[in-house]
Amino acid sequence: MVHHNDSLREACKEFEEDLVLYYYGECGAAERGRVEKHLERCASCQQFLADLQRLLPLTIKPDEPPQLFWQSYSKEMQRKLAPREQKGPWWRNLAALLRPWPVSALATALVLILALTLTFGKRVWRTQDLPPEEEGVMEILPMAENLEFFKAMDLLDSLELLEAGAGLENGSA
Amino acid sequence: MTTSRPAEFGDEKLVTLAQKGQSEAFEVLVERYKQKAYRIAFDFTRDREEAKDLSQEAFLRAFTHLKGFDLRAGFYTWFYRILVNLCLDYRRRRGRIAWEPFDEKTHMDGGQSEMAGAISSPDREAMSGEISRRVGEALQALSAKQRTAFILKNHQGLSIHEIAKMMQSAEGTVKTHIHRAVTTLRQRLAELV
Repeated sequence: MVHHNDSLREACKEFEEDLVLYYYGECGAAERGRVEKHLERCASCQQFLADLQRLLPLTIKPDEPPQLFWQSYSKEMQRKLAPREQKGPWWRNLAALLRPWPVSALATALVLILALTLTFGKRVWRTQDLPPEEEGVMEILPMAENLEFFKAMDLLDSLELLEAGAGLENGSA
Repeated sequence: MTTSRPAEFGDEKLVTLAQKGQSEAFEVLVERYKQKAYRIAFDFTRDREEAKDLSQEAFLRAFTHLKGFDLRAGFYTWFYRILVNLCLDYRRRRGRIAWEPFDEKTHMDGGQSEMAGAISSPDREAMSGEISRRVGEALQALSAKQRTAFILKNHQGLSIHEIAKMMQSAEGTVKTHIHRAVTTLRQRLAELV
């Protein structure tokens, strides 16, 4: 029996989507009642539903592979999963190193060591580097450098005075 | 004292064990869902080897990203989203999929077998092939989302709610996709049989 497209009867537009849902059993109770009541008196919608029941199963092409296929499938999956699992222990070792509490404990310890080193280390190093008699020399040296500086400043002051004096003479002349 | 076997564990427990590195737990999930995964992939690819490769690739991706998986979502739904996305990518890459003629041994249900029995074998094969070709062309005429929603509903029997979660769409949108797919298929296939 052949149906021609030109005689294809359209369902009522306001019921068409509901008929599709009704076919798939997706209607709520209220919608189901409404659709069934409408179907009792509408030949177009009855034909529409009959077409769905006739045609939609044709779109399914089932495939049932043999048991051997599934055995091979499982073995292939085990083989493909194996390289990803072997990476696991290496990851786990790395993850163990990066676990939160040892990291924070280690970081805290490092900060403390650094703080203690900076606080006490400079004095310890300096006293260790210089013998006591030379320590006095080290304290005097900066003073000597400052003295030279102040002498230079005095000279500069003198130069300024000389320049100022020269300027006055030129102005009066 | 009884000890449970992994095959008896629920999905959540298996995922938790697999997240801790026990791949045997994930293999149980593979065994549990491989046939469903294969059938979905086959609906999209119409090719046994491609369906096998796609479904296996979906399992591998799930295993790789298992640590980031939120158990509240449900492994089944999460995995099928991965699989469906892979299938959609496959279709975009491949373009038109050649529709293979029906194998009459796998195609017929009871009613159609009775009908087919009244027709000679060569004619039956020719008719099946023609139906198969027309169905393939009709499915190709659908948009990707219409085809996805239709296959998940019509072939896999998933609920609108499940399809909406997988496609990350509203249920109303899924209903619209299915409605348009069905009316298009009806128009294109009405002259068959």
